[in-house]
Order: sequence, then C-alpha cells, then structure tokens
Amino acid sequence: MSQFVENPAHLSKSRLKSDLVAHSVELPPVKSKKEVYVGLHLQHIGQKNAVDFSSDEEDQVQDVSDKEEDTEMPDPSGLTDDDLKAALLEHGVKAGPIVASTRALYEKKLRKLLQSNGHGCLNGVEKGVLYSDSEEEEENGEEEDRELGSEGEKEETVKQSDQAQQGSSQVELCFQNGGFVYPQCFLLSSRLHARASRNREPSPKWNSGNAIESSEQSRPPCSQIPVGISRASSVDQHSGLGSGLTQEPVKDTVKNMFPNTDATTTGIYATRRRPIKGAAGRPVQYAYPDTPVSPTTLEKREVERRLVPIQIQILVFLIVTCLLYLIYVCVEDNSFGPSVALLDRFYQGSDSEEGLLLQAETQDVPAPSRQE
Amino acid sequence: MSSTSQKHRDFVAEPMGEKPVMALAGIGEVYGKRLEEKGFDKAYVVLGQFLVLKKDEELFRDWLKDTCGANVKQQGDCYGCLKEWCDAFL
Repeated sequence: MSQFVENPAHLSKSRLKSDLVAHSVELPPVKSKKEVYVGLHLQHIGQKNAVDFSSDEEDQVQDVSDKEEDTEMPDPSGLTDDDLKAALLEHGVKAGPIVASTRALYEKKLRKLLQSNGHGCLNGVEKGVLYSDSEEEEENGEEEDRELGSEGEKEETVKQSDQAQQGSSQVELCFQNGGFVYPQCFLLSSRLHARASRNREPSPKWNSGNAIESSEQSRPPCSQIPVGISRASSVDQHSGLGSGLTQEPVKDTVKNMFPNTDATTTGIYATRRRPIKGAAGRPVQYAYPDTPVSPTTLEKREVERRLVPIQIQILVFLIVTCLLYLIYVCVEDNSFGPSVALLDRFYQGSDSEEGLLLQAETQDVPAPSRQE
Repeated sequence: MSSTSQKHRDFVAEPMGEKPVMALAGIGEVYGKRLEEKGFDKAYVVLGQFLVLKKDEELFRDWLKDTCGANVKQQGDCYGCLKEWCDAFL
C-alpha cells in the first residue's frame, strides 16, 4: 500500500521542523526532543491531511496493529462476494459461484490460504536447508502476535497450534502453496478447529509454555520431523492441562482417519504402512506355516489323508477280481447247467466269498478232469 | 475390481431421478437424515451443491463435513459416487 505521508517518526528532526514551519505550526523550543516534533507533526499535519487524505491516519494507526496480520484483506467474512472471489483469485484459486451455500466454504478456504501463506511462504519454497531460519522468523512474528494480542485468542491459538504441528506438517504446508490441499491437511485443519475451540481457557498457560519452547527449539541442526515430534511431545509434557483437553479432539479426528491404530501416550500417531515383501523385519501379520515342510512329509500327509479311501479301494478291487474269476470259471464251463446252478447259487447265496470260492474250486476240479 | 461398494455401483448405473439422498454412497441413515433436515432431501439437490462447487473435491468434502458431519471415508465415497455419476451422465 503506498503511503503518501511517511510516518513522522521516520523523518529527521530537521525535516520535521521544516514540515511544521511549512504548515505554519509553532515550533517547540530548540532543544526539545524529536518526539515533541513528531507529536506536533502528527497533531497538526495529521489534522490537515485528514481533509485531503482521510484514510491515511487510519492506515498509519492500523499499520502498527496490522503489521503481523495479512497485507491483504484480513477478514474474509467482511468481504463482499466479489471481493472474496478476487481474493481467492489472488491466491490462485479459481472460485465458483459464491452463493449462500458456498460462501462459508470459500471464506474458510481463504482463511486457510492466508494462514498457510503467512507460514508457508517462509518455509515452502526450499524444503531442506532453510527450515531453521524460517522458523526463527515465524516464531518472532508469532511472539509479537502474542504480545500485541491482535485478533483475540482465536488467532493466537490457531497460530500456536499451527506452530506445534509445524514440524510434522511442514512438508504438507509446502504442498498447500499450489492451491491443492492434500488429504493430510484435513488432519491439520481439523486439529486447528479442535484446538481453537478448546484452547480458550488454558491459553495463557499455553502462551508461556510455547514461548519458552519456541525459543529453545528454534535452531535444530537435524531434520524437521524429529524436531516436530520432540516438540509435540515436550509441549504435551509442559502444558498438561492444555494437552489433556486437546488430546481428545485430536485423537477423535485421527481415530476417524485411522481407526486401526492404538492410542499413544505421546500423541504421536504413526501409521504402519504395508510391509514390503521381502523386508528383513517381517511383521507378525504375515502368516507363515508352522514348521518347514519337506516334499516327502507332504506326500505322507496326503497318503494319510487317503488312508481310509485306500482301504475301500482295495476292498473294491478284491471284489472285482473275485467276480472276474468266477465269471472266468463259468465261461470255461462248456455245460450250461452246472454253470447256471453255480450262478444261481452265487446270486442267491448268502455265503461268504470264501465259501463260494471253495465251491468254485470243487467245481473246478471235476471240470478240468472231465475235460481231460 | 476397484474398491467401490455395491451402493456406489447401483447409483452410478442409472440416472438418479428422484432417488433419496440416502441412495448416495457414503450416506446412510444418520447422515441422510441430517442432510434432509438441512433441505437436501433428494440426491439431485446434493448433486446441485456438488456442481455449484465446481466438482471440487476439497470444497465438497468440507461442505459435507460441515453439513452432516461425515467422516473422511464417507466424504470420499460420496464424492467419488457423484463424480462418477457426472462423468457418466452429465
């Protein structure tokens, strides 16, 4: 935003003097401090300029408080439909019609974009090296936020929770810059809402706790993720009340997403990915056969399975051979009569097979003798 | 076979006509009632909202969550169902 009138504090004493003279304002005593000149400058020249540029003073006053806020429109709900659409377009989001049912969603989206831009721009572009530096900047900005107390508690808590999850979600924030939000961000946004709604009471405690931790952990030499995890765990330890309250909504949202994981005390949720086939440490889920089975044992098992059927097969075989033998005997007989009688006996007989066989043998003896 | 449910396949197989909102994949009794209370009593009304949001996944998911409190899986199912329906019939 261009400023037609500079902040008088930035002007030199001589410049202030000349300005005052130009506006025909009484000069203070020569040896008075610059602040006096500044005050006079603001008082008189500010009044005069109020006629010409009515919004300048407001801008100057607001600039101090708006310094940590976004340079664009700060309050999405105060914008008109067109302004909201334009703001979204500035962030690269082509919004659809902003109707009654869609307005709330677009406002939320703009808020998300504004926050992510505030945090993400510093982190997002270079992933690896600049994390520690960007963290410092952000923490300074956020500490100033807390001091000035702009926008009430909600933004503070939102920023604090943002900071707390920074380490774990920084990569995701990077992706947010493209305008597309990946499913991991649902976790982030849900955590934000959950924490914002529940953090009202313990926020002063949270403030002090976080301020200390942020300064302690501002310069991690190692990668971000372990820092994020350690920060999350230390935060949980230090602010007991806050963590007790905030863990529940966090757990609920996370449990919704990952219903199979168990609750952890440290608040770290790591989902087990599908184990790679052939990985050294196989998880227990893989079902291995109890003992290594050699092919011979497999054969034995199959044989054992078939033991009963095998017996039946042998029995059937024997019956069939006996039948065939009898038929052979009958066929050999030239005379029809004894064979018919034999057959009758065979069919009618309730004798055992051995008995029949004996009869067949006795018949056989005279038969070949007859033939001879 | 993809991981779509029978409900999804039934919905996507034909024009939705006057199907109730509970015919959508991911929307059961509870969520369906909530949507009906908010005025989304038919599937085509939810389709209308989906189209007004320009078929954007994130916005539609957020809207579903705000309106009926659907969880992530149900949001995804409903979005996928409507998207496929639009691809087929719109």
